[in-house]
Amino acid sequence: MSILLIGLGSPFGDDAAGPAVVSRLVAEGLPAGVRVLMPRRPDALLDALEGAEAAVLVDASRAGLAPGTVHEPVAEALGEARALSSHGLGVAGALALAAALGRAPRKLAVVAVEASALDGEGLSAPVRAALPEAARRVRAKIAAFAQAAGETGAPPQRPAEGLGRA
Amino acid sequence: MTERRTIEVGAFARVEGEGALHVALEGDRVVELRLQIYEPPRFFESFLKGRAASELPDLVARICGICPVAYQMSVVHALERIFGVAIDPAVRSLRRLYYAGEWLESHLLHMMFLAAPDYLGLDDALAIARTNRAEVERSLRLRHLGNRILELLGARPVNPVGVILGGFARIPTRGELASLADDLRRARGEAETLLRWFGSLPVPRRPQEVELVALRHPAEYAMNEGRIVSSSGLDVAPAEFERAFEETQVEHSTALHCRIRGRGPYLVGPLARVLLNRDHLSPAAAAAFASFADRFEGTDPAASVFARGIEVLQAFDVALETIDGFEPPADPRPAWRPCAGRAAWATEAPRGVLWMDLATEASGHVREIRIVPPTSQNQARIEDDLRALVPSLLHLADDQVRRRCEAAIRDYDPCISCATHFLTLELERRPRQ
Repeated sequence: MSILLIGLGSPFGDDAAGPAVVSRLVAEGLPAGVRVLMPRRPDALLDALEGAEAAVLVDASRAGLAPGTVHEPVAEALGEARALSSHGLGVAGALALAAALGRAPRKLAVVAVEASALDGEGLSAPVRAALPEAARRVRAKIAAFAQAAGETGAPPQRPAEGLGRA
Repeated sequence: MTERRTIEVGAFARVEGEGALHVALEGDRVVELRLQIYEPPRFFESFLKGRAASELPDLVARICGICPVAYQMSVVHALERIFGVAIDPAVRSLRRLYYAGEWLESHLLHMMFLAAPDYLGLDDALAIARTNRAEVERSLRLRHLGNRILELLGARPVNPVGVILGGFARIPTRGELASLADDLRRARGEAETLLRWFGSLPVPRRPQEVELVALRHPAEYAMNEGRIVSSSGLDVAPAEFERAFEETQVEHSTALHCRIRGRGPYLVGPLARVLLNRDHLSPAAAAAFASFADRFEGTDPAASVFARGIEVLQAFDVALETIDGFEPPADPRPAWRPCAGRAAWATEAPRGVLWMDLATEASGHVREIRIVPPTSQNQARIEDDLRALVPSLLHLADDQVRRRCEAAIRDYDPCISCATHFLTLELERRPRQ
């Protein structure tokens, strides 16, 4: 099964949490069949998601939690999907539009790291400390997706078809 | 006593930046109408002071996430004028390609994501994706080509870098350009299909007397250079901008208002460009213009969406012409020496004339810079449009009036974030009544 791993964020401050988690996983080694993408902005999700059966999105969050908290928001809770402007889609807007265009993966997980500061140089201490936990959770998601695919007996390289991709 | 009715639109949807509209009516008379721009001032003109010339193209690109090329082009030409940097014809033509990329990105996004929901009575493009998926897909594919052009010359589609004095940091290879040209040729028909689809939508009519202002070049559809002309005969060099136009602060907006001296508000943007430069449209764009001739007989800001669609075709043709005639520049990074000086320059941003006046120190650092973006120029015009529109809507419920006013504002595709960066903010505080 093809799994897309997306680390979303700019290189500034804790916005870089997503790419930092993904870079860490890449350095540690990822299972075969996992594709990696690290776009700076959510607009890129629209094209990135096309053709993926499953995706794990890692992003920095502003959810009112303690900085460094690792959590797994459901896609519906990602914010106001209608905040579509020409300056960008936002994560929720991009995911909703991808779904409306039949480009959304059948399985999607979001792992978020609560940010402290979204500007400046480098990650804040709480976010840096949260990277191993975030990486562990992402790895668990990837394993779960791969296992579910195995249990349903889907052949590994079978192209996406049918439900949800009309 | 006449009943007083107040219409407030608290925060615009599908418009760049933060703005609001306040309308007060006594009977059917509009007694107050304010397009309020409350996005905080951004002080770009202040903090660009003292910056080195070489930094400017990258810095001004950050003024706007949707029209960075416009800021880069206006500033780099002003700097080249001051320092006497010659522009290689190949660089000149690549800059037209670069600008075409931005027009594609901006226009296609506005047409489908900001404007189309108004014509279909839907909330947003998400809803359109469910009912008219093919059209949304088509607009995204076309827009993606704009992104590719920006990536090719600016290294990335958002906050591009790569513009330098006299050239580009990297000149694309013939292979890259040929592959882009193939994709442009393949997609060109889709741009025509998309425009025809917009032609089939119930786009409202709102004809009115408007003075149009755009750049005009003697030989081509103006993008990076030209004189500032108007439909009422104004014809000035960018250096004479202040003789012809005045900027004033108004209490209710953090953006400045612009007027033609002695006359009043005016319109910049795709509609003004298409109407003032129709003789320089490419054959395909001119044919599209002819097919919408009844929408361009008078001046109607509501017809701007068709002007954008025509400019999408124009941008395709500018891009293909550039690529087909491409010869690498002899020196893409010419040497230049800073000096003290001053120059004004204007280019055509997706939303209209973007004027800059720049003065440098002997070291090349910025002594002073003034930036007049298209949205502040259109602000007073938008208010005039609404003043005429609102009395015709009084039979409607407030939320319908609001919808119609917002849609009218969107015809101008205002970029409020761009407009709010004037230098001083003076608040007049009046006692509450």
